[in-house]
Amino acid sequence: MTTKEYFLPQSLDEALNILAEHPSVLTMAGGTIAMPLINGGISMPEMVMGLRQAGLDMVSQSNGTVSIGATTTFSQIMDMDSIPMLQEAARNVGGWAIRNMATVGGNLFSPPPSGDFAVALLALDAEVKLVSHKGERMVPLSEFYTGFMTTALEPGELLTEIQVPVPEGQTAYLKYGRRYANTPAVVAVAVHVVMDKKKVKDARIALNAVAPHPIRATQAEGALVGSALDEGSIAAAAAAAAEACEPFTDSIASEWYRRKMVDVYVQRTLARLV
Amino acid sequence: MASKIVSLTLNGREIEIMVKPLMTVQTLVREQLGYTATKAGCKQGGCGGCTVLVDGEPMQSCLLPVEDIAGRQVTTLEGLTPSDGLHPIQEAFYENFATQCGFCTPGMILVVKALLDRNPSPSREEIVDSLTGNYCRCTGYEPIIQAVSDAAQRMNGR
Amino acid sequence: MTVAEQPLNVVGQSVNRRDGLGHVTGKTVYVDDISFPDMLHLKMVRSPVPHAKINGIDFSEAEKVPGFVRALTHKDVPKNVYTILTLIGVGPDEEPVLAEDKVMYQGEQVAAIVAETEQAAMEAVSRVKLDLEELPAVFDVEEALKDGAPILKDWGTNYFVYDYEYDLQNPSRKVRFGDVEKGFAEADFIVEERYQTSPIEHAPTETTGCIAKPEPDGRITVYTNTQALFFTLDNTALILQVPFQKLHFVGGTVGGGFGGKVDVIVEPIATLAAMLTGHPVRYAFSREEEMRSSSSRGAWRMCFKDGVTKDGRILARQVTSYADAGAYNRHTPYAVTKHAANVAGPYRIPNVSIDAYCVYTNRQPSSAMRGFAVTPASFATEVQMDKIAETVGMDPWEIRFINAYRNGEMRPHQKEVEDATLIEVMQAAAELVGHELSEDYKQMSSGWGE
Repeated sequence: MTTKEYFLPQSLDEALNILAEHPSVLTMAGGTIAMPLINGGISMPEMVMGLRQAGLDMVSQSNGTVSIGATTTFSQIMDMDSIPMLQEAARNVGGWAIRNMATVGGNLFSPPPSGDFAVALLALDAEVKLVSHKGERMVPLSEFYTGFMTTALEPGELLTEIQVPVPEGQTAYLKYGRRYANTPAVVAVAVHVVMDKKKVKDARIALNAVAPHPIRATQAEGALVGSALDEGSIAAAAAAAAEACEPFTDSIASEWYRRKMVDVYVQRTLARLV
Repeated sequence: MASKIVSLTLNGREIEIMVKPLMTVQTLVREQLGYTATKAGCKQGGCGGCTVLVDGEPMQSCLLPVEDIAGRQVTTLEGLTPSDGLHPIQEAFYENFATQCGFCTPGMILVVKALLDRNPSPSREEIVDSLTGNYCRCTGYEPIIQAVSDAAQRMNGR
Repeated sequence: MTVAEQPLNVVGQSVNRRDGLGHVTGKTVYVDDISFPDMLHLKMVRSPVPHAKINGIDFSEAEKVPGFVRALTHKDVPKNVYTILTLIGVGPDEEPVLAEDKVMYQGEQVAAIVAETEQAAMEAVSRVKLDLEELPAVFDVEEALKDGAPILKDWGTNYFVYDYEYDLQNPSRKVRFGDVEKGFAEADFIVEERYQTSPIEHAPTETTGCIAKPEPDGRITVYTNTQALFFTLDNTALILQVPFQKLHFVGGTVGGGFGGKVDVIVEPIATLAAMLTGHPVRYAFSREEEMRSSSSRGAWRMCFKDGVTKDGRILARQVTSYADAGAYNRHTPYAVTKHAANVAGPYRIPNVSIDAYCVYTNRQPSSAMRGFAVTPASFATEVQMDKIAETVGMDPWEIRFINAYRNGEMRPHQKEVEDATLIEVMQAAAELVGHELSEDYKQMSSGWGE
């Protein structure tokens, strides 16, 4: 059916009211995921709510944490110097026009193998703010994904903000796609490593496109902690990451190839920190 | 049906239009207003053929509800074309054979306009990076990249 | 001054495209830029599975969608078969415009829905219920030729039967030249390899589409982006069983074709819908339909066996090729003939045996794409030449100079070589890339003027 009603709330409160009154409304921000489905007749929602004018695109920083509004676009992130890895991740999403439209919040709901920005947030221990009429709660991004295309978002809730601590250690991000740019990932890797003198004190290795959603390669992280960051420890971590992931075969790449590339790209990404 | 009246500026002219819920800027310009330079290649935001400029920024009009950009300035290729002659970017595309079937050309030219407005002398890498959202199946892209360098020179020389 | 001595005014000059100004101003008119106030939209119900019997189609829910105008099935089509091969003298025609009792590939056209808006048409399509009984399917060319494979064609085979084949046990397009077994026996090396190419989607930036518009004088104007305007007109007239002069085809502006807009797929059904509704009807592929249901370049499996001397001469070449036509012929039987004539390569080989098969599988039908059937052959031939060079221990340039055919020599399919230039082109290429050729090769010639 042709959509009968399009809501364009001018504030978060208005958006929450609409969501409460019309629980089946399809919520979108940049439209880069929802509109293709609607245009193609695959999704036929009676009511749609767009969040572009709801004031959810503010970025601020305090006490070492950057708060990014959910409808902040990737182009806006590319101008945000406080966390260079996020700028790099944003650069790897789509083309110029898509980056002007697609939002950081939307990327958290995009179907695999999308999520090339979310993987950087995961490596940085980001938390998301979920708001409803009942109140608000913070959920670590690592707990936000609950399965294939499912999240911790409850009915009546909107994801309004992503809070990212400014990283203490070094970060690196690499995306491997079959084309130079504007391409889905074969694998995307984001890492954040904190050193204590010459040993790894803490490590985060996040992978995208090799599981139903962005994941942390926790075994690989464990393999690094306490070691020097050198060729040997990097190779061990990469091998652990490759073994533990659950890649899928799609039109981009086979499961076999993705698994091999996890090993290669985890090594290459960590090597950038050395 | 809950149609709304929306005001915006299109190619320099203020207009007031009635839009159905979720009607896209692509449908507005092509079907309601008859400005067909903006193309429909995929309706998925993947090909760049529907690119328009909103306040000078490239956007995929096939994904953009008209209501979202009420009050803003929209530019299509018709807005770039002078009544007499060609814009330097158009000249450069024409002279450098950067167009074959022509279907990607309107989207390309608008992105190039946005690029050169920000960066009058882009490097080859900057040109390539700006065009990654625009898909061409005919030229192999090389003539287009050359046309952009040529356009930059034409615009700087004036 | 003779004609040959007059100065050239256009040759050698850079001449701008006639349509360039329209393209850079956005004024070029493509099919989708044309619209009529009372235009209806046609969307297609497609098979969700690769091979099935159709036991019934239920339109009752689709008819309830606001804006629904009508459905078309095979019963509405006067001559329900695409006739592209008939017009180039190759038969039989076997692809239905709309499926009758079975579907043979995922995405096959089953029924057309016409509605007032594109959204209404898409919604109505989603509500059509197909009662299908799935059948075993086959997806690989060699599997399709094995005993026990599900048989896809009414004439009882999974291959095209070439009409003057003389070997009923071996239904291929054949080339026989000399005696390959003798050549292999005399060779110092045997070089064998299998090559596989992929089906490639043309993916033109503009999707396939047309608008058919009834005119007051009884004619129908069809605006279309087909690459083959008159060919499409003729086929449409044959399918609709109307005189050719009833149709007026307008086109020639194609937003990318590459061989993907020659299958005459959208015009017949859109024209029929226009005739039956009295309204202009638009039928254009969505991007998904263009990627998944429209024809692609055919995938080829090519098995080479060459007998080569230690000084690099090819004495014998045996090629067995399988074209994956997909579920229907389209232009593939013609392609297989072209392939057989070219797969030996531009080389002088005294003993050649080629068997090229047009094989059916339950995949997307394949069709023309740039260098139809010959580009994949070139890939195989040239990689094979490199392998020969490696086996014999010679330079890949030398292998080609030694084996290049010259003017006046006989090609395996019994045509004399005319206008050969491989040697001259390689000499020019070597100079361009800075590859030093020995004096012998610099002096070689294809034999012009001899």
